[in-house]
Amino acid sequence: MARTEPFQIRIADLRERYRPQREWAEGRGLLLILAHFLTGSGAGAWLFAVPLGSDPGLVIGFFLAALGAVGHLLFLGRPERFWRMATRMGSSWISRGLVGLSLFLVTAFIYLVLLFVAEHKTTLGAILLALSVLGALWTIIYKGFVWASSKGIPLWNTPLVPALYIAYALRGGAAVLILLAGLGTQLGAVEPLEPIKLWLAVSTAVLVLIYLEVMRGSGMTALRSVNLLLFGKVALPFYVGAVLFGLIVPIGIGSFAYFDHVPSGLLALVGLLSLLGDLSIIYCIARAGLYRPLPA
Amino acid sequence: MRYGMVIDLKKCIGCTGCALVCKTENATPPGILWLRVVKQESGKYPQVRRVSVPLQCMHCAEPPCLEVCPTGATFQHPNGIVDIDAEQCVGCRYCMMACPYDQRFFLSAERTYFPGHTTPFEQAGYQRHQAGVVSKCNFCTPRLNRGLEPACVANCMSRARTFGDLDEPNSEVSKLIRDRGGYQLYPELGTNPSIYYLPP
Repeated sequence: MARTEPFQIRIADLRERYRPQREWAEGRGLLLILAHFLTGSGAGAWLFAVPLGSDPGLVIGFFLAALGAVGHLLFLGRPERFWRMATRMGSSWISRGLVGLSLFLVTAFIYLVLLFVAEHKTTLGAILLALSVLGALWTIIYKGFVWASSKGIPLWNTPLVPALYIAYALRGGAAVLILLAGLGTQLGAVEPLEPIKLWLAVSTAVLVLIYLEVMRGSGMTALRSVNLLLFGKVALPFYVGAVLFGLIVPIGIGSFAYFDHVPSGLLALVGLLSLLGDLSIIYCIARAGLYRPLPA
Repeated sequence: MRYGMVIDLKKCIGCTGCALVCKTENATPPGILWLRVVKQESGKYPQVRRVSVPLQCMHCAEPPCLEVCPTGATFQHPNGIVDIDAEQCVGCRYCMMACPYDQRFFLSAERTYFPGHTTPFEQAGYQRHQAGVVSKCNFCTPRLNRGLEPACVANCMSRARTFGDLDEPNSEVSKLIRDRGGYQLYPELGTNPSIYYLPP
């Protein structure tokens, strides 16, 4: 059977009243989703690993963010021109993101070199660590604004999206460290992370509910997108990935861990499922994006 | 000066000639439709109406695509035309997400109309298009530079399209908008499109 070319799908879409966006969700668009997930979780892991004094957390955080940066590059139609993206800091969130992510990756890399090869408890080390934390914060914050400033897709064009992405990046970071702890990595004090992770899981659950409810009342296109998420073709990854893996399991086991000891294997499972949930929500929100009907 | 276009939906017969001439003039590859005509039906039998609505880049005065472009590849000419410098585009497709009119197209790979064969027309025309970048209508800027109207305007058989200066109060486009109640698509988004439609 002949494979349907992407442009044939695009032409078919143009006949639809509510046209789905596919560029950021299908084909190489999946790389973008993966890149947003990896850079968010990596930067989040770095932010938690710094106060916990977790060297493995720092390494894995940097590694995930670097992998995400590669994903961002591979997604581009012309990756060899990527440096041009840093030229519009004044108006484009992608430009701002590139600068923030570069700051994070460069300073984090040099800090890790100092940490493992040379002396890191110096003024230079402290400055690099501070800059890397700034870069990680920047990386976590810019993502949601990239989606929220997309006027073409009403489901994303809301200030709630940046809040949601920040929350998911933070819980992704916590999940990475919990997963490492569950796998037996010597992290130092991981106990403070468990209540933080539970709190983040509950607050993201509330945030997702508020987001869906607000978008239901934000016009016909956004309502259609929400219906796609809840009852349409995106419903399966939404309920299984984002809701079951990303919210119910972490909240359930997290609540249990609040009162009793949790075996390390279960801890690793919670971290892994939570990360799958984070990836799912980014995918689902991207996949449910629809353009406004034309003509109006 | 701000170039704009008025499309009279009463005169448009939906022949899609503008879409065809756009493809011919700009030699756009398969799947790239800088201009298309949408048929809209309204009412209930026997009181039904079918209107043909041509759609293309709106060349907004406040273009959201320009704001989000991370490289400056999307730019605005002093005459108001929103254009893309293909040499600067990185193919991030952020502009496609920002455009509320869904009028931008990404050419992921070089494509021809006939598998394994490029016609002489394609060989000449495709030199203007790069794979891995976004493209869209530019109001036929090369034609404008030669003192000609955009191809869709010049070739509209029912003269449904009028092209001119929106900033000039006595231009034909300004008069049509004023006298016939010209309207823009999604004015509430604050993009101030340069394409106006006259009601059918």
